[in-house]
Amino acid sequence: MAAGAPELAVPVAARERAVRRHRRVPLELVLPGGFLVVLTAACFLWPLVRSMPGPINGNFIPDLPALSPGHLFGTDPIGNDVFARILYGGRVSLEVGLGVSFLGTVVGGAIGAYAAFKGGIVQAVIMRVLDVFLAFPALVIALVVADNLGKNELDVIWAISFFSIPANARIARAATLRQINQPFMVAARLGGARDGWMLARHVAPNIGPQLLTFSLLGVPVVILIEAALDFLSLGVPPPNPSWGNMISTGYQYLSSDPALVIIPGAFLLVTVMCFNLVGDALRARWDLQ
Amino acid sequence: MIASGAVASGAAGPVDAGPGALRALRALARSATARVVAIRLLSAVPVLWGVSFLTFILLNLLPGDAASSILGLNATPQELAALRAKLGLNEPFFTRYGHWLGGVLSGHLGASLISGQSVSSILSQRIPVTLELIGYAFVLSVAFAVPVAVLSARRPRGIFDRISIWLSMLGLATPNFVLAIVLILVLSVHLNLLPPIGYTSPSADLAGNLKFLLMPAISIAFGLFCAYNRLLRADIVEQLQREDYVVFARAKGIAPRRVLVRHATRNSLFGLITIVAVNAGTLIGATVIIEQIFALPGIGQELISAISQKDVPLVEGIVVVFAVVVVLANLVADLLYAVLDPRIRYGGRGA
Repeated sequence: MAAGAPELAVPVAARERAVRRHRRVPLELVLPGGFLVVLTAACFLWPLVRSMPGPINGNFIPDLPALSPGHLFGTDPIGNDVFARILYGGRVSLEVGLGVSFLGTVVGGAIGAYAAFKGGIVQAVIMRVLDVFLAFPALVIALVVADNLGKNELDVIWAISFFSIPANARIARAATLRQINQPFMVAARLGGARDGWMLARHVAPNIGPQLLTFSLLGVPVVILIEAALDFLSLGVPPPNPSWGNMISTGYQYLSSDPALVIIPGAFLLVTVMCFNLVGDALRARWDLQ
Repeated sequence: MIASGAVASGAAGPVDAGPGALRALRALARSATARVVAIRLLSAVPVLWGVSFLTFILLNLLPGDAASSILGLNATPQELAALRAKLGLNEPFFTRYGHWLGGVLSGHLGASLISGQSVSSILSQRIPVTLELIGYAFVLSVAFAVPVAVLSARRPRGIFDRISIWLSMLGLATPNFVLAIVLILVLSVHLNLLPPIGYTSPSADLAGNLKFLLMPAISIAFGLFCAYNRLLRADIVEQLQREDYVVFARAKGIAPRRVLVRHATRNSLFGLITIVAVNAGTLIGATVIIEQIFALPGIGQELISAISQKDVPLVEGIVVVFAVVVVLANLVADLLYAVLDPRIRYGGRGA
């Protein structure tokens, strides 16, 4: 025992170091994560806490440059405060990005897990239908939905979900197939567990982290698609602000006031980059492929 | 191997060309690659059918039809009814779909409801522009990504590597339409180097054509460059650290640079080629915004107007072409992977 103690001390210390290293949150997670938290708070809470100019129906002050008193980013040619439009436009990006990913994870996850769980003909049919959606040109559904349903944020979410649901379902199916023959699944089955119970209590917690990481990596893609739809004036209609339609209207004043494109463009870029960094860091941490 | 031998013997004896060709076909049917290709192509048929059917349903859900978009808002009900009857829009849903599908199966994509031009002639005018744009972007992105990735992988975590990693993070987050606008702002508005919009066909003026397409191609290529750079660099680093042949090459005393370029990079390129092939399929729709900004007469512009005008045969034609490209690109990617990687090529037969 006395001889064993010093030998044991090294691995314990090493293990503690490893645990500490694992617990320490890396900088490439803290910085972008922090930015996203601040951005979300600014977009959703700041207008409630502090009175600020509205994002639409500005007061016809001519196009002010950035850093003007009372207008941090200046105003656009219609006299709207650009800072206010950035915050309200950020709501659209975040709501659509997170909304689509949520729908994709929940609906796609359920479909994929169910397909893998049932197997046989059910799985074959579901997967073929998903193949059709995946081979379908993404843009066509978005264009048709935008044309059909009228243009508002909720319809944009539905339109983009057409792509996130099949993609998530594929991931969920593959993840479920890896779980299906695990001993705890067989044990639950032998214990008489019903399908719904097994999906909810045994499959879902095990495929959860992988699906969530995949969805998180999908958020920036969705934000870019949403901005692109707005840019083509197929998403949130003006005068309501979104980063995409701000860039699109700013484009008309490109030579006189490039800041109208650069400011929303920069917010879009930094937000997407932060989501990418957080997604990559989480993927590395959970060691997913 | 067997297949090519049989073809050679068939060609050598023109007298018994019939049985020789038959034998070649049989041998082809026996070859594993041909069977994989055939199965993949056959399994794509229901997917393509599903895509066309889904498109028909979606367009059917849209309010209004081609007749109302041709005649505009001031049309009388009589005029509308007459035009609908002429265009066959009064037929039931399945009759119309069956009519279109029958046409496709006999090799006719039909005619545009709006212009009356045949869909295949519209496609043959528009698709080359889009394909040239995508090809241009691929050439640019690969031409820059390969040397940058090799230089980064030479010293992982070195200064060059760090700069290139950050550049890639930046590029992956840049929306292509924002990049396009910035390019116009800098290169056209301020420096006056390139024309902001316009297009000439390559057969008329190749230099002018490449000049007009340069900014659109860069807008698409930058994101691709960043993605390829990241993938290729990671793959080369992994090859250098893990693979036995790298250890063996080093043990033989081959210079590090030669191991990097001739051994590791050559192997990593296979993975890149696969990704490029897969991307080719997804990109064909993604050029729409860029075509819109630079006013290029490509397929994306046509798609947007066809959908808003409810030009069903034209939309169907474009969508089916997109889906075929996606399916073929994935197939080519899989085959290339098998052809290029000797471990996969010989693996099946050796075992």
